[in-house]
Amino acid sequence: MHDIHIPKDIQARYLTRKSPLGMAFLGLAVLGFGAFAFLLTSDPNRAWEAYASNWLFWTSIAQGAVMLAVVTVIVKAKWNWSVRRISLAFGAFLPIAFLLVIPMLLGLREDYFPWLGDMATDTTVAKKLAYLNLPFLISRTVVGLLVLFTMSLIFMYFALRPDMGPDRAGDEEGDGGRARWRERLSGGWAGQEKEEARSWARLKVLAPAMALVYAVVMSIVATDWAMSVAPGWYSMLFPAWFFMGGFWGGILLTALVAVLLKRAHPAFDEDMGPQQLHDLGKLSFAFSIFWAYLVFSQYIVIWYGQQPWEQSWVIARSGSEWGGLSLAMITLCFFVPFVGLLGRKPKMIPAWLGTIAVLGLAGLWLERFILIAPSLHESGTPTLTLWEPLIALGFFGLFAFTVRWFLTTFPVIQKWQHPQEPESIEAELPPEEARLVGSRGR
Amino acid sequence: MATATDKPRGAQTHPDIRSYGEVNEDIIRMLDRPGKWWWILLGMSIAGIGLLAFSWGNQIINGIGVSGLNTPVGWGAYITTFVFWVGIAHSGTLISAVLFLFRARWRQSIYRAAEAMTVFAVMTAGLYPLIHLGRVWHAYWLFPYPNQRLLWPNFASPLVWDVFAVTTYFTVSSLFFLLGLIPDIAAARDQAKQGTLRHRLYKSISFGWRGTDRQWHHFGKAYLYLAALATPLVLSVHSVVSWDFAMSIVPGWTTTIFAPYFVAGAIFSGIAMVITILVPIRKIFGLEKYLTTKHFDAMAKLCLVTGLVVFYAYLTEFFMAWYSGKPSERAVFWNRAFGHYWWATWIMLTCNGIIPIMLWFKRVRYSIPALFVITLFINIGMWFERYVIIVTSLSHEYIPFAWNVYRPSATEMGIVIGTFGWFFFWMLLFIRLLPPVAIAEIKEVLPPPFRPKKKEVAR
Repeated sequence: MHDIHIPKDIQARYLTRKSPLGMAFLGLAVLGFGAFAFLLTSDPNRAWEAYASNWLFWTSIAQGAVMLAVVTVIVKAKWNWSVRRISLAFGAFLPIAFLLVIPMLLGLREDYFPWLGDMATDTTVAKKLAYLNLPFLISRTVVGLLVLFTMSLIFMYFALRPDMGPDRAGDEEGDGGRARWRERLSGGWAGQEKEEARSWARLKVLAPAMALVYAVVMSIVATDWAMSVAPGWYSMLFPAWFFMGGFWGGILLTALVAVLLKRAHPAFDEDMGPQQLHDLGKLSFAFSIFWAYLVFSQYIVIWYGQQPWEQSWVIARSGSEWGGLSLAMITLCFFVPFVGLLGRKPKMIPAWLGTIAVLGLAGLWLERFILIAPSLHESGTPTLTLWEPLIALGFFGLFAFTVRWFLTTFPVIQKWQHPQEPESIEAELPPEEARLVGSRGR
Repeated sequence: MATATDKPRGAQTHPDIRSYGEVNEDIIRMLDRPGKWWWILLGMSIAGIGLLAFSWGNQIINGIGVSGLNTPVGWGAYITTFVFWVGIAHSGTLISAVLFLFRARWRQSIYRAAEAMTVFAVMTAGLYPLIHLGRVWHAYWLFPYPNQRLLWPNFASPLVWDVFAVTTYFTVSSLFFLLGLIPDIAAARDQAKQGTLRHRLYKSISFGWRGTDRQWHHFGKAYLYLAALATPLVLSVHSVVSWDFAMSIVPGWTTTIFAPYFVAGAIFSGIAMVITILVPIRKIFGLEKYLTTKHFDAMAKLCLVTGLVVFYAYLTEFFMAWYSGKPSERAVFWNRAFGHYWWATWIMLTCNGIIPIMLWFKRVRYSIPALFVITLFINIGMWFERYVIIVTSLSHEYIPFAWNVYRPSATEMGIVIGTFGWFFFWMLLFIRLLPPVAIAEIKEVLPPPFRPKKKEVAR
């Protein structure tokens, strides 16, 4: 076992603002949402299905990435010192995600929630009235997301704040936006050491609470926006499957952006070294297997039980129309990461890890779509058309724009590091030796 | 910036352990002097085994009718206790394999005892299918073996999957256990008196270990691979056990959440049992140096996390039973909470959901007596969890005409209590025969015994 060596002095470095990428992302957003608006006039159901599944995908992976940072705070991880800020950067999308859910709350009715119509005709569905009704659904979505997203933003604030001290003004390269945000986040500055101690104390309390809230809120989101689309069907594992998928997506995103950033600056390349890639690769690998385990756990019970009400959901997704896509989803989410990341070396090759991460994310995107669309699909109409990826591009544009904004406005690598408690019974190597056996020296 | 690099590294050793030799002495000393308490506990365990033999003998001679099992409750205390022990067996592999892969180094002091517990818990669990068979002399029918009658077990039955899952788990966890022991047994061998039985035993199971560079290299590789192979087993075994239930369409059993829910529950109960066992061991053998409150804090946190997963599953089950809108599902869960077995359900909810809330508090996690009491409650709660799942569902299956109440008979209770004797018997022998704390791994983290620098000598 080797030690994680964290350099004593981490330079504050930003992603350069001067790049056409930001505009390009906005362009994609305009394109995607334009496509959505266009489709809304010709085929509103398809447009909304794509919109909702995309919202579920981008929101759950953004929140999942924040949760990776949260979990590593709970366990006081050292290895992700250089990529922790990346995981947090995806939190910048959360306010947008909240705005994007509002049209769904206002626009989605009987065509998306069949139970609105079934209440009168189906006696089983009618028994769910206390939970499945619009006022309750809208209020729990709004309240749940507000709580979860606010906690995430507060978490990000405390994680950022110690890096925002007045003495960091020199790092900003004369960038007005950075200075404004630094001033905004450092009101009432109490000095570096005090700020670090305070932030760490807050983060330690906030992190476990967030893990609980994440599980509860995402379970509600999954039940409402994906499971209730098939009102007669339920699977007890479904909500957990949904939010663990989001968490896995967050790991893949962190790995992907770390790989991309390695090319942006030699310092990033050094700090996000083989150690970080190896660990991100291991987590990507492990949670891909866990995803498959959750799929299998549901599938085998449903398959073995042979109960019509339960099997109809699976049959809708494995027939001639959707079977191919479902197979592609399982291939991308499980087989590709499993084979691709088996062994030690593949996890440490940046381009390879990045490719696998993209493929895994594509699989997860398909999963979110398959959760919803087949239940609402009219047989005979095309399943996956060009429209869905097009609308996804719109979401991607906003997503990438906000994440890029975050990484250009705040230092990419967290400069302050949380205090490391002495291990239970342990001596660590002196730094010189740690460097030899640790991340850099391999 | 407050990183560890600010502090002199190497200064964080446990203050009470000074040298390699001390570790050897402290741990191997445990093998020499059993003490009064050890003999008392051993006597109690042997009495338990006697009770087990008597009760089981009674059942073998008089038939399975001496148990309380009858239609519709064909699975009762036996299967409950089977699942309980398989669950206990989970923490060992979690601590030794999963925590190893996660670089959670606090595992080093506890993993040996946890692994031993795993092996013995599987051995205990393995008794139950035999006991439950009734005609135990036909036990070999469980295994698929070529025979002239061309008869095979039903491979589509989860009970057969169980046979494979549990035997695989037993094999891998024993191998893992024995592999990790090799360097320590060698240390014990070198201190044992030549020619004694003990020396011969250590000699044979240390496989000629001399601690050469090459041997350590192979050892490290083998350990890592076994850890990677054992990790999926942590998930698979109890998943398969859960499918014993989930594959049938009994209301309350056929739910998709069962596999991860059972796994979380297994780890929860396993960690609780590790704490319950380590507290007295620490006390009796004076291992405060090696099992610090920080270890207990870390274990308590694991307990808390898995307990929360279990509680999440409870809530999901109740909610989804309501959400299903199915009369059968709703009735089963109503019956669980307020029916004939309401008390068992509320014991389960209290012990597994409410009492562990105390673990949120740091002061509780650092208090050994508090942890001991809490984990005892968790052990009880986890036994009742399986009892609730099995008995409430079966006793209230389908048509009301066939409902019935199940009560464990004296024979069943004798066997259930007796297997605790069987388990602790092995545990006690282990403490006397094999180093119960990993000597080599603790040495890994002590400062190496370099010659002190001159100025230090001068001081």
